[in-house]
Amino acid sequence: MSRQRYWIAAGICLSVLLVWLAFFWEPDIGTPTGHPGPGTLRPAGQPMGGDFTLDSPDGKLALQDYRGKVVLLYFGYTFCPDVCPTSLSALGQAFTALTPEELAQVQGVFVSVDPERDTQEVLSVYAPFFHPRIVGATGTPARVAEVARRYGVSYMKQKPVDDRPYTVDHSSFTYIIDREGRLAALLPHGAPVADIVLQIRRLLGDKGKPS
Amino acid sequence: MKFAKPLIITLVLSAIAGSALADSVLSVHAPYVRLMPPGIKTTGSFMLIKNDGDDDRRLVRADSPAARIVELHTHLNENGVMKMRAVPHIEVKAHSQTELKPGSFHVMLIDLTAPLNEGDKVPITLEFDDGSTIELAAPVKKPHAAMPMPHR
Repeated sequence: MSRQRYWIAAGICLSVLLVWLAFFWEPDIGTPTGHPGPGTLRPAGQPMGGDFTLDSPDGKLALQDYRGKVVLLYFGYTFCPDVCPTSLSALGQAFTALTPEELAQVQGVFVSVDPERDTQEVLSVYAPFFHPRIVGATGTPARVAEVARRYGVSYMKQKPVDDRPYTVDHSSFTYIIDREGRLAALLPHGAPVADIVLQIRRLLGDKGKPS
Repeated sequence: MKFAKPLIITLVLSAIAGSALADSVLSVHAPYVRLMPPGIKTTGSFMLIKNDGDDDRRLVRADSPAARIVELHTHLNENGVMKMRAVPHIEVKAHSQTELKPGSFHVMLIDLTAPLNEGDKVPITLEFDDGSTIELAAPVKKPHAAMPMPHR
């Protein structure tokens, strides 16, 4: 009797597993892996890129308004003590290395994934600190999440320890968008400044080449 | 206990000698604190710690009057996701060196007590597992200065 019950239970478990595999299992290939749980990042999807509209200190910021320019996009947060300043400094240095003609065709965008703390006032000071050509942007948590999803950005607010400010785990890539608004390249964290310059020049093509 | 007293004296003496020795074999090079945009109250300090001694050492604590909380941190890069975590210590192996650098180990200064300006000297005390300490004054530097420039 108990043996029979065991087999029934095992059968039910197997069917549930099969149904789940068939309908809900979406394996992520080539994306960060992890064990989703409290405080852990879920693997983000593949970056698709695409247009978006967020709020910046200068008003609405729409990616489509930068058509004709090469846009360098970075997702982070201003309480980020090391990773974001490192990436944004590299971006700023790359911009500094460009000729004025090239620089006129380039725009940096820092998207905060921490709208709770990163007000427009904070962003207005933070982003241009690294280079005047970098603008800060954020939006409602839902909108930021949507933009992040499209670019394959993963982020997760961490539980604060005691009275320390909370940190946010986040993917640290620099997304390079070509003149037509397409996601053209993705630079990993710590990419050398020279690589960023190279990517920008590649996308600027003949028009951006110093004469 | 005939041997107790000499034994204790020897132990105490060797402990003093040991810590004095440790003081001279551990050294800190090119420390700096990263200048952050105005209004940002968290930053990091970076440096090179050298250990010329025969024993592995651990940096176990850092302290500074410039911040409310000072912690030892590291970064884990898990497939492009950067996770900053506090660590109990930072190891400096015998006859070796450990670099505290962006994207890796660093001394975290949380909740700065006053805004930092470029060129300010931030006093930091490092404490090692043998009880020795090193006092340093780390200049505040723009992140740019810490990276090599590309060729034009």
